[in-house]
Amino acid sequence: MSAPPVERTDVEVESRDRAKPRRRLDPGRAQRLGLLVVIAVLVISFGSASSAFYDQQLTIFPLLRDISILCVVGLAQLAVMSIGHMNLAVGRMAALSAMVMGLAYQELHLPLYAGLVLGLLVGAAIGALTGWIISATGVNSFVVTLAMDFVLLGLVSLVYAQFTTSAAFTVKPAGMDELRKYSLADVCLGPVCGSPAVPQLFLFTVVAMLAVGWLYSRTRVGRELLLVGSNIKAAQLSGIPTGRRVIGAHALSGTLAGLAGFMLAVTAGSFTATIGSEFMIPSFLGPVLGGTLLTGGAVSVIGTLLGTTLTQVIRQGLTLLGVGLESLNIYLGAILLLALSTGRIRTVLSERKARTSR
Amino acid sequence: MTTLGRFLPPGAGRIRRFARSTEMTLAAVGVIGFVALAADSHGSLLQGNAVRGILTYLSVPILIGLAQLVVLAAGQMNLSVGALGGFLSVFTAALMADHGVPAPLAIGIALLAGTVIGAGNGILVVVTRINGFIVTLGTMTILLGLQYRVAGTRTIDAGSAALQRFGSMSLLNVPTIFMVALVVAGGLAFFLRRVAAGRRLLASGGNPLAAELSGISNARSLVLAHTLSGLIIAVAAVVAVASAPGVNKSIGGDWLLPSFAAPIIGGAALAGGAVSVLGAVFAAFIVRLVDLARAQYSLDPSWVNFTVGAVVLGTVVIGRIQEVRQTRSRQAKPDTASQSTNSTVRSPA
Amino acid sequence: MTNSRILETAPPLLAAERLVKEFPGVRALDGATLTMRAGSVHALLGENGAGKSTLIKALTGLHRPDAGTLEVEGRPIVLNSSADAVRAGVAVVHQERNLIPEFSVAENITLRQIPSRRGLVDREVMRDTARRCLDLLGLDLDIDAPVKGLSVAQTQLVEIAKALSTESRVLLLDEPTSALTMAEADRLYDVVGRLRDQGRSILLVSHKLEEIFAHCDTVTVLRDGSSVLEAAPLSSYSTDEVVDLMVGRSHTAVQFAPRPTPTEGPAALELDGVATAGGHQDVSLAVRRGEIVGLYGLVGAGRTELARAILGLDRLTDGQIRVNGEPARIGDVRSALNTYRIGYVPENRKEEGLFLDQSLTMNIAVTVWERIKRAVGYVPRRKERDLAADYTTRLGIRSAGTGQQVSTLSGGNQQKVSLAKWLAAQTEILIIDEPTVGIDVRTKAAFHELIWNLAADGLAIVLITSDLPEMVTLADRVGVMREFRIAGWVDNDDHDYGTVSRAVIDLIHAREPASEPTIVRRHRPRPDHPGRQARDSTNSSSVLRGLSSGKQCGETRWHVWHRASSHRCRTLAGWRFLGDVRRGGFPDRPFVLATERRG
Repeated sequence: MSAPPVERTDVEVESRDRAKPRRRLDPGRAQRLGLLVVIAVLVISFGSASSAFYDQQLTIFPLLRDISILCVVGLAQLAVMSIGHMNLAVGRMAALSAMVMGLAYQELHLPLYAGLVLGLLVGAAIGALTGWIISATGVNSFVVTLAMDFVLLGLVSLVYAQFTTSAAFTVKPAGMDELRKYSLADVCLGPVCGSPAVPQLFLFTVVAMLAVGWLYSRTRVGRELLLVGSNIKAAQLSGIPTGRRVIGAHALSGTLAGLAGFMLAVTAGSFTATIGSEFMIPSFLGPVLGGTLLTGGAVSVIGTLLGTTLTQVIRQGLTLLGVGLESLNIYLGAILLLALSTGRIRTVLSERKARTSR
Repeated sequence: MTTLGRFLPPGAGRIRRFARSTEMTLAAVGVIGFVALAADSHGSLLQGNAVRGILTYLSVPILIGLAQLVVLAAGQMNLSVGALGGFLSVFTAALMADHGVPAPLAIGIALLAGTVIGAGNGILVVVTRINGFIVTLGTMTILLGLQYRVAGTRTIDAGSAALQRFGSMSLLNVPTIFMVALVVAGGLAFFLRRVAAGRRLLASGGNPLAAELSGISNARSLVLAHTLSGLIIAVAAVVAVASAPGVNKSIGGDWLLPSFAAPIIGGAALAGGAVSVLGAVFAAFIVRLVDLARAQYSLDPSWVNFTVGAVVLGTVVIGRIQEVRQTRSRQAKPDTASQSTNSTVRSPA
Repeated sequence: MTNSRILETAPPLLAAERLVKEFPGVRALDGATLTMRAGSVHALLGENGAGKSTLIKALTGLHRPDAGTLEVEGRPIVLNSSADAVRAGVAVVHQERNLIPEFSVAENITLRQIPSRRGLVDREVMRDTARRCLDLLGLDLDIDAPVKGLSVAQTQLVEIAKALSTESRVLLLDEPTSALTMAEADRLYDVVGRLRDQGRSILLVSHKLEEIFAHCDTVTVLRDGSSVLEAAPLSSYSTDEVVDLMVGRSHTAVQFAPRPTPTEGPAALELDGVATAGGHQDVSLAVRRGEIVGLYGLVGAGRTELARAILGLDRLTDGQIRVNGEPARIGDVRSALNTYRIGYVPENRKEEGLFLDQSLTMNIAVTVWERIKRAVGYVPRRKERDLAADYTTRLGIRSAGTGQQVSTLSGGNQQKVSLAKWLAAQTEILIIDEPTVGIDVRTKAAFHELIWNLAADGLAIVLITSDLPEMVTLADRVGVMREFRIAGWVDNDDHDYGTVSRAVIDLIHAREPASEPTIVRRHRPRPDHPGRQARDSTNSSSVLRGLSSGKQCGETRWHVWHRASSHRCRTLAGWRFLGDVRRGGFPDRPFVLATERRG
């Protein structure tokens, strides 16, 4: 991957350029700014409530590790959301890729990164197959990915049952343990070392974000994906190969899901069939909170990171405050609904204001 | 077509339409599959308690399929089917076990709670105007948390002998809880076919703009659909409590996917407006058959998911091929040319 | 007539007084007044964007006016929903198709008031109502069949039946005949006439002025959201006067400087005996650079489908397409664009031409990314933006910048964006399909000039339009399509409307020779049975001869009537109005002529 251009450091894409860029904040950017403020407030208040929240080893490190994984999951969903589709099989695609990696390490004794590449290829392939079925049949992506989820759920369990006794591939290739434990403190450029609070896995997320952000903001294919999400008929009549773009978006989704599966497996230390079973909800939370449209045509990579961060900060903070695991979901769900409702409230208010000011 | 219809007795068209319908195909598949399985089991599948077993464990799949179907009819989705069912199950059981609430009252409270939560989903969708998918994703998360909070790590035994008896009772080898499911299915079918409110609900799902222009309140339809969904889930939860020895925090966790599978295999369009209660019931039966076959040949349980997924994929692909063929044959006769339906179905926004 | 005069003393059935409706950034209604009386057909006219649709939505409870009053039979009323309007006795047929595809015909017709007893749908009443409404229209449909299997025209008629179902005293018809054949339109107007005789009031919105003049009694003209003509008797206005009121100034035909038409070299695009899977047979045509070749025909003659076949969206079963003399194999739009430099501006810009929720830049640059991309598909933003800005200026697209969302532009500017992407792509062959549908008269003229200049700059243009004056203004040659074949060619070197239009019409109807002309009748605001007039008329053959020699075209208004060729159509005693030759309404069947001397 080539280095991203440096004129703008963010990799967010808002394909709806602003009509008046200087005078008013566009809703997408306002949303991201709002997220940032909320995250900051939460971090400060959790920190003041419990100083353990700032503990680099015990809190920040695992927090960032979770954010890293779930942000990639969010990007996997974002890839299909850009064309107005959904991928309900995102977790199971992660499981499939992880399974292939585990199989590769155990049976073929591949090195860490060779196995990763193989797993990503399988993820891309299953995504492409899903995309192909959708574009060939014209059936709603929801149905197709749901069915694919069933298929993979069965398939993955069957393969684990076939090859293992404990339903897990436990052979660890060289470097896997280090990847789990090491932070940026272990990455040094001469005398300057990174923070011990940031896990090395975060680098995978950064690479994924840069790649996806660059794709959507700077390349032809990315723009064409957004246009397919915007109006597929017009896209076809403008010479965009819509079938190939649909397949491509799903293949990208599969690849990113595979990467997330790998990261989770590295964190957990083994490759199991349950990898990815918790991915579905966060995969939507991140992008949707961050301003990616379910209907397609607009995506925000930075927003996905912020959305994911928000949910994980809440999760981590509440856990620290002694809120039981069982209650976490209640708060998370409530916050999701609240956060999305504020957008609606804001539109209603601004519409009303516009009406009265005239 | 129009002229031909006039020479046939009224109803003949309907019969012909039914013969070609998805329901008929599903019924045929179900019967053939069952006969094959029964023959291969040397008749043991036809014995009283085997039939009872099959039907008992068919009730919940039918009910959750119907709960999803009524929302699909209005062009929405309900991701909280499993979470709400799970929560209501442990809630009902806990009412009886922990607080000594008598079974009829507990059931009443459960049905009421399901209805209210369903209505809450609907009202949230209408008021916030957020995609129903996301709203129910949110309530799903909340309900999962509530379920864990109520159940904790224990398995709750409702401890009501009356309820247990009701759960295992059967008439001529047909379990009462299966009859409950059939009654709900019949009621829902009647509601969607004959009741004005049901027709309005379907109209909202089929073409919201047209419905609005015809003086139909889409908001009311959406709330109604989600409310009914909540009520049906509550019935499913009660059935689950009655038929299982105990419920825990994992109940309902595997309800979401089957809830979509039944109506979709049964011929529901995700775009709304077109659903088939009968089809969903047959589809649930077919899924149950797959499970039976799995048990009969002692295969890994994962085969069930794999097969169901493959069947859904197969259904959509075949359905699409048929549609394409129909459009082609229609194109060949320009007289009857009609607008081909939009092939890229967007998820309902 | 005396009947209606008595009724005028009664309060109007529906009266809208000085309605104002504002949307962010635009005042859609600005003092619109409309008075509809019992027993009359009222025309509502106005350019696109004049506020007709907004007014109709205000009258049916879909928009709440910000100011102004509504009265039904003299009583003030506030409509909050479409259900309120139904209750107040106002029924409407909207422009958009508004049926539930999965529901039966009967159920769709009765959807506004589902017949029910104690909450249960009463099927018998439903079917009876549906059958009664369909009988009114003389329609024979299977009322139990789902609507999704019907043709476009049939669904349109079902919509009208639906509007009739509520026994409303006021019926609003927004472009009711746009999808109908002449025979179907006739049947509709027959019903409209009967409803008027029953004392109802009908509002008719139509772009087809011929229909308006043939069937309406009074007229209200909207311009920029306010009424410039209020409930005036239509008979005291001529078509030109009404058009002047709509436009706000006298309009004149556009004349362009002649442009050289090259005859040398191979054609840029050539079709040779092309047959397609869609049903085209033996289609041959050739367009040179700098030439505008028109394709005229009725809706459904296969013109858009031919364009799609050229773009590779439909399979060729026979014949050959040549680009610059070389045989071309076009598999999809991408290869049409990149390999053969063919662009297509689709007829339906909102659905097929534009990405409404995206910026101008995205919309214009979509075709050039392939060209300006660098390694690994990198598209330099500045280059893309500059290109978009360049074409925005060149085509005179009014916007706040290239970042503006296209949905916020006006129709004319949107159409320019739809065209701009093909110019940016540097296409050499451009197929333009119905470029000025839904565009106001002023912008239309500018658009014609633009297309003319594109050809002068060396583009080969295939122009598909159903607007014959537009065709005559622009095209060098006109190919007339009929039933997926080219029926013939008309040279249009001197752009003379009279001769060309007649030749074109002859070609369209070549298969069924015109019946013996028998009717001569005067132009009247509302025709009675022309058949009756025919008996009074003298020798009409001489009039037709006069027309065909072009002698009287200048000072005579020609009305074209068609004798229904079969027993199916008995409306207007076997005759129906087809159009006014000079204003561009055209018959699609054998026709006879009726005339009226002006002045």
